[in-house]
Amino acid sequence: MALDKKQPMEHCWKRIGIWGREEPRCPELKKVIHCSNCPVFNYAGRDLFERPLPEGYREEWSDLLATVKSEDLPGTISVVIFRIEEEWLALRTQIFAEIIDPARLNRHIIPHRKSSVLMGVINVHGDIQLCVSLKVLLGIEANVSKKEDRREYKRMIVIGGEGERWVFPVNEIYGIVRVHPSIFQNVPVTVFKAQSTYTKEIFQYKDKHVAFLDDELLRHSLTRSVQ
Amino acid sequence: MLALLFYIGDTMYTIKCDLVREIAPLAKLKEAPHTPNYFAGFFNYRGTIIPVIDLCRLIQDEPCRQRLSTRIILVDYRPKGDSGYLLGLIAERVSETIKKKPEDFNLPRVKSDTAPYLGGIIMEGGKMIHHIDIEKLPNCISLLPGMDGGEQDDAQ
Repeated sequence: MALDKKQPMEHCWKRIGIWGREEPRCPELKKVIHCSNCPVFNYAGRDLFERPLPEGYREEWSDLLATVKSEDLPGTISVVIFRIEEEWLALRTQIFAEIIDPARLNRHIIPHRKSSVLMGVINVHGDIQLCVSLKVLLGIEANVSKKEDRREYKRMIVIGGEGERWVFPVNEIYGIVRVHPSIFQNVPVTVFKAQSTYTKEIFQYKDKHVAFLDDELLRHSLTRSVQ
Repeated sequence: MLALLFYIGDTMYTIKCDLVREIAPLAKLKEAPHTPNYFAGFFNYRGTIIPVIDLCRLIQDEPCRQRLSTRIILVDYRPKGDSGYLLGLIAERVSETIKKKPEDFNLPRVKSDTAPYLGGIIMEGGKMIHHIDIEKLPNCISLLPGMDGGEQDDAQ
């Protein structure tokens, strides 16, 4: 409801409303339950806009509004690009649950397990999750000739939804990017690597060749490898 | 049907939301010389140049106050049989909408020769609000191509 502009302002919500303790309570509270539903409070909030323009406001907005909005092509998908050793990999953003700083985590190695993929169990926010090595699963070789200038940003990635969670370490996370399937190239059939079975597509992102992994197959293989 | 509320001076006005493309903050406009004072200037909206009308000037002959709530309403003006164009309208206190039934817009018309876009009144909470008919607005502004004005100019 629109209130009259001339109505005097008083901070009634701080006195007899939700944020105040004065008696008697505001009679409107019975009706609106919380001040945020009250037109007086709404009006006060809108009144904050009744201020003069700050310096540079018009210039800043005219610059922002002058730029042409770039529209994504239909079918564009969102992926998270990350690195394991020297390989840039990508997975659908939807399957990501969390990215954690490994310094905050303690991994517990399970005795008598020979699977090299299973690294142990890990406590993520009080839940015990399986920690796996994508590096072993994908057959990525450790980087022998390590570039000195490359800094390491080790992270733990948590993927999966309800009931099924996987945690794996990566060397670096590039970030979330939106890619259109038109830039996807087929995986060369001559590539002989375990990794290629999991690679759905390959695409070029800036200076990187990124392997887009098949998450269905990946999760399936992970389940099999820890059994 | 949603209707946008705004103020011109101390008077509340409304327009139908179905023609509103976007509410933009008060950006800097490129003024044009030798134009009526209600013509606020040109607005570079995502690469398109849009004429902007100062409604306060047009209706009350006072420029809109420079407030955070003073905004540019971008409306799609679509005359029949034409592709139409975007038009910017500056108004004050553009911060509220109301829901109205379509029959509420069957407005009692008062014929006005100088401002045929005005005259409609809708009721909200016992109060009367002026309704501005966007479709009639460009015809009253000689600068803008309207349904009977601009088309002929282009053909000549």
